Amino acid sequence: MRRIVLVSILAAALVVPVFATGQTEAADDSIHVALSAPITGDWSEYGVNFQRSVEMAIEAINADGGVLGGRTFRLSVGDTKGNPQESATLAQKWTSDDSIVAQIGAFSSSSSMAAQPIYDAAGMVQLSPTASHADYAKGSPWSFGIVGTQAGEGPFNAAFAYDDLDLRKIAVLHLNNDWGIDTAKYFSEAFESEGGEIVGTEFYFDGESDFTAVLTKLKDSDADGLFIASFYNDGAGINIQRDRLDWDVTVLGPTSLYSPQLISLGGDSVEGLYTATGFFAEDPDPRLRAYVEGFTEKYGDPPNFHAALAYDAMFLLADAIERAGSTDREAIRDALAETSDFPGLAGSITFTERGDANKGYSKLTIADGRFIPYE
Amino acid sequence: MNTLRDLIRSRPIVTAAVVTVFLAALPFLLGNNYYVRVATIVGIYVILVSSLNIIIGFTGMFSLGHAAFYGIGAYTSAMLTTMAGWNFWLALPVAGIVAGIFGTLIGLATLRLRAVFLAFTTLGFGEITRIVILNWRSFTRGPMGIAGVPIPTLFGWTFDRYGYYYLVVVLAALTVGIIYRVYHSRVGRALVAIREDETAARSMGVNVFGYKVLAFTFACVFAGIAGSFFAHFQRFVSADSFANLESFAIITMVALGGTGSIFGPILGALILVILPEVFRFLAQYRGVIYGLVLILVIVLKPGGLAGVKGIFEKPKTPKRRKRR
Repeated sequence: MRRIVLVSILAAALVVPVFATGQTEAADDSIHVALSAPITGDWSEYGVNFQRSVEMAIEAINADGGVLGGRTFRLSVGDTKGNPQESATLAQKWTSDDSIVAQIGAFSSSSSMAAQPIYDAAGMVQLSPTASHADYAKGSPWSFGIVGTQAGEGPFNAAFAYDDLDLRKIAVLHLNNDWGIDTAKYFSEAFESEGGEIVGTEFYFDGESDFTAVLTKLKDSDADGLFIASFYNDGAGINIQRDRLDWDVTVLGPTSLYSPQLISLGGDSVEGLYTATGFFAEDPDPRLRAYVEGFTEKYGDPPNFHAALAYDAMFLLADAIERAGSTDREAIRDALAETSDFPGLAGSITFTERGDANKGYSKLTIADGRFIPYE
Repeated sequence: MNTLRDLIRSRPIVTAAVVTVFLAALPFLLGNNYYVRVATIVGIYVILVSSLNIIIGFTGMFSLGHAAFYGIGAYTSAMLTTMAGWNFWLALPVAGIVAGIFGTLIGLATLRLRAVFLAFTTLGFGEITRIVILNWRSFTRGPMGIAGVPIPTLFGWTFDRYGYYYLVVVLAALTVGIIYRVYHSRVGRALVAIREDETAARSMGVNVFGYKVLAFTFACVFAGIAGSFFAHFQRFVSADSFANLESFAIITMVALGGTGSIFGPILGALILVILPEVFRFLAQYRGVIYGLVLILVIVLKPGGLAGVKGIFEKPKTPKRRKRR
């Protein structure tokens, strides 16, 4: 008896969905796109925000009359669990479905790269909002990333320091991992080619909390600026300890410092710090306000940088389809590759030959305990 | 069910022929690349689950780190082919051997102790493996992973989706076949004797420690081979694929299918790979179905679907111990 119950339940579990999935096929001329994101698992917060943002973007595009003379979008969402293998399986699922024209995702670089050979072989656009691995976009002509790389951000920060802040001698302090090494390297190279001088470079390890030794060393270097390649938590600690050492110097850092946490942890010590961001949630731009307020109203929390990138990815894809004039997978790729100065909410997007984005950033400073745009 | 089993027993050649024809025709019946990929992944898990079954089901040991050996195999093969320019067919057995060497070392260090220590050690080893892969940047490329693992070729023919499917079917069939032969050999009987009663086995002259290390190593070799195939199938390896969660997924498949049988692991892999794919349309709720199916099996058939002795079963009673 038990065995019969069990077998019938298992059989039902395997068969029922076959009928259930049959209904989702729409017979209209809507354009079918796919999203791969970690809806469950360790990165579910990001994945769920991806889904929310892309759904909001589709709603907005469809309400606005769609593309190609009134064709609307519909979305299929797949859960990668943050597991590269699941992401590759999804890629196979999406590329096997002839109605799907392009895919947005995945979240992590490794999930995107595991799926890459499949999109490449099938010839379908893989547009990742967040994958930033140096080998990702250049791995296939079908792969695109819009988050921007340190190779693009370094020169921007260097120009900010040299031209706007009039700094000539900079000391660099960086986190010693692949990200921190790259960030410091690209900034330093660009700053030196602007004509500035790097007077000292020091590093610290992830998890270290005492920066006084390296700060003392850098203080003696006669620098007029300090560049910190850190995330907001270390950034706050470095500034508190710099303050205690009475080192009065202009501090600037990359977009990773942009978080309200920097101010709540760093307090007075981060006043006057300069940084940049691709996505400034308090920007008065009406399109950005509509997105931030719509998102906050619907889901309770304001969107972050990653969510905004997913929103941009969907708009960018719609724009590419409109420019391609068709929903042919290859035509979409070609149009996407030609993207230049696309006005994304999280920074403008211009694709390099490799398929990663040169981004535009907004300059910020901290005054009275708040981030404000640098004028 | 029993009649089916009798039929299979009485007509082994016919059964083998039917299964072979079915497996050979399957990609054409499925027709869709996505289904063929899912079938291929089932094949990878059949190897992993069957090999873990040697440890858990046959010998009664408990390993929580099978994914580590899977990962070692994958990385060995990926590194040998991308960095040293080896051929896939050479890297495949070497990946198995390297995973086996690590298995032997872990086994030698812990198998003299009580079973629970092996569980802890393997759990730790799984985490250590992942962390070493992530941090040894000059050797494993760390968080970057290894991309561009070459596609296997055979006599000038480059593998496509179907090629991978047939290769994994052959590998899985070999694995299951070898495990079947070992199970029914003197070694297999020694392992079962250890599972049922270590003291009794020892008093009968079975070298308990030696056989345990042998069984553990044997299982790790197959995990390494599965890893090598996976690396060339996915063509990108990173530490994310071999986290402890992966070990737990494999154990779950052993438990669901039923420990200690040959067919159970195949059933477990089949159901637990296909089920989450079928329920994709439920998005974040598909995990619930996965859990429900597990609970149902535990409640209704604690020995697993085809198990001789389940992990969820109460301590064995003499009546249940032997079927025949």
